[in-house]
Amino acid sequence: MAREFNRLNEPDVPSSTATYFFREALRRIWTSKRSSFVAISMIAISLLIVGIFMLIAENLEHTVEQWQGRSRVNVYFASDATGAQIAALRAHLASRSQLAKHRFVTREEALKRFREYFASVSNLVSQLDENPFPPSFEIEVTPEFIQSPAFNQEMAAVRASPGVEYVQFDWDWLARMRRLVDVINLAGLIAGGILAIAAAFTIANVIRLTMMLYREEIEIMRLVGATERLIRGPFLVEGILQGTLGGALAVGLLYAAFLAVRNTLDPSQSLLFGFLVGTFLPWQKIAMLVAGGTLAGWFGSWLSVRER
Amino acid sequence: MIHFYHVTKKFDRYSTALHDVTFHLEKGEFAFLTGASGAGKSTLLKLILREMLPTEGQVVVNGRNLNAMKKRHLPFFRREIGMVFQDFKLIERMTVFENLSFILTVLNVSPKEHKKKAYAALRAVNLQHKLNAYPLQLSGGEQQRVAIARALINDPLILIGDEPTGNLDPDLSAEMIQIFSDAHLRGSTVLLATHDRELIRSSDRRVITLDKGRISRMEGGETHIENEPRPSGTPFLSASGSK
Ligand SMILES: Nc1ncnc2c1ncn2[C@@H]1O[C@H](COP(=O)(O)OP(=O)(O)O)[C@@H](O)[C@H]1O
Ligand SMILES: [Mg+2]
Repeated sequence: MAREFNRLNEPDVPSSTATYFFREALRRIWTSKRSSFVAISMIAISLLIVGIFMLIAENLEHTVEQWQGRSRVNVYFASDATGAQIAALRAHLASRSQLAKHRFVTREEALKRFREYFASVSNLVSQLDENPFPPSFEIEVTPEFIQSPAFNQEMAAVRASPGVEYVQFDWDWLARMRRLVDVINLAGLIAGGILAIAAAFTIANVIRLTMMLYREEIEIMRLVGATERLIRGPFLVEGILQGTLGGALAVGLLYAAFLAVRNTLDPSQSLLFGFLVGTFLPWQKIAMLVAGGTLAGWFGSWLSVRER
Repeated sequence: MIHFYHVTKKFDRYSTALHDVTFHLEKGEFAFLTGASGAGKSTLLKLILREMLPTEGQVVVNGRNLNAMKKRHLPFFRREIGMVFQDFKLIERMTVFENLSFILTVLNVSPKEHKKKAYAALRAVNLQHKLNAYPLQLSGGEQQRVAIARALINDPLILIGDEPTGNLDPDLSAEMIQIFSDAHLRGSTVLLATHDRELIRSSDRRVITLDKGRISRMEGGETHIENEPRPSGTPFLSASGSK
């Protein structure tokens, strides 16, 4: 009798049943190809949308970082600034290690540069009697310095220096770009999240349908002593597989779209938009997308399997 | 091994499928359950497998009071019973081999042994050549033999058959009874429901006869326990102490 009672408490799903779960799940996906296809597509589309947002945000962020990497502060003098004032600031800059990489740009050099950059409108400038460009210092700063509190103090000191009219730095603009990246990421996550939940419910319905189809068989399984875990395992795996396949499909579609946009982009537009298709997602984010599919699939099947 | 104490089963207010049924089948016994169609044979067997609960009375199987058994213990309880269902209950989506492999999975038999065990079980019922057929591609008799192979595959503690030879011709029927007898010799307790008088007559096993839901006769058993008084004060679980 002890033997029989011990049998009541043995673990009900040995590792070998994993094979059974997978084989059965694949078979069921194949049996109900059409509804499986719908479920997988739903997941793929939701995650593709998340992926598009992620990709845009990724590239924007990349660009922002590149700009920030060679950040430059421009210190413009007033047109009536004296040589002594300029010399004083030069001495000050030389004394600060963080501002040591600087270069003086004369009025003539500024005008020359403008003519080179904007050749089409340069005759407009040549009509002017006087050179409108003030002299300036260009200071190269490191991103770490920009983000340190010392940066604002140093800039305030430069701004207060006599003869200085305007200190220009792209900090605000970069900060705004960073915020935009966050917003895009969030928008993608919200839109994708809603769609993924919808997709999870589609999976839940597909699996509920399969379960209905297999109702008789499930009853037989119970009668011959199958545990609920053994009965429901394949359905859970079915959902997880559908979700994961959907996630993988989304990554594949995203990469195809990425390559397509990159290769068909007109050179004239590539200046404007090219930076948006600079890099593909890093592997961590690819893994996140696929895992999102897995999670949605698991959630969907869990929903339908949970109820008796 | 199987104990019924004043078991009554009603499906609705007007009809009683079983009425105050009391009997005991000890470990290692082999008995036939007989009676006209509608006498309550299937109902009695379903109560043993706990497909349903009795309306009144107690069923104790393998030392467990089925009224009190927790739902999560049910699968483990059923694994010790090999049942040949009247309607076979094969999984139509699966081949014969997969049906047997599934039951072996349920019984926690290592997948490495599935082929060997399934083949051996099919050989015993002379169907080894139908390994890859689907149940619906088989005749009624063949399906029944697959169902027998499934019930026998892992030497169950208790072997139950609901008309397990109902679709077989006499020769095959005798052959199947021999298979059940072999299982009995290996230690299974056997209870077969049948209305085939010829079959019962040809063996000298114990016979329990049902008539309109009541036990009308018990023959061949060591004990004759019709209308045995309910053991007062003893918990039903202890009733299985003899096994
Ligand atoms: N699920 C059910 N619902 C209602 N009545 C049932 C059900 N199962 C069996 N019965 C009735 O119980 C009686 C006994 O049936 P059953 O046990 O199948 O008899 P047997 O197997 O001896 O032919 C019959 O009158 C039958 O109509
Ligand atoms: Mg019957």
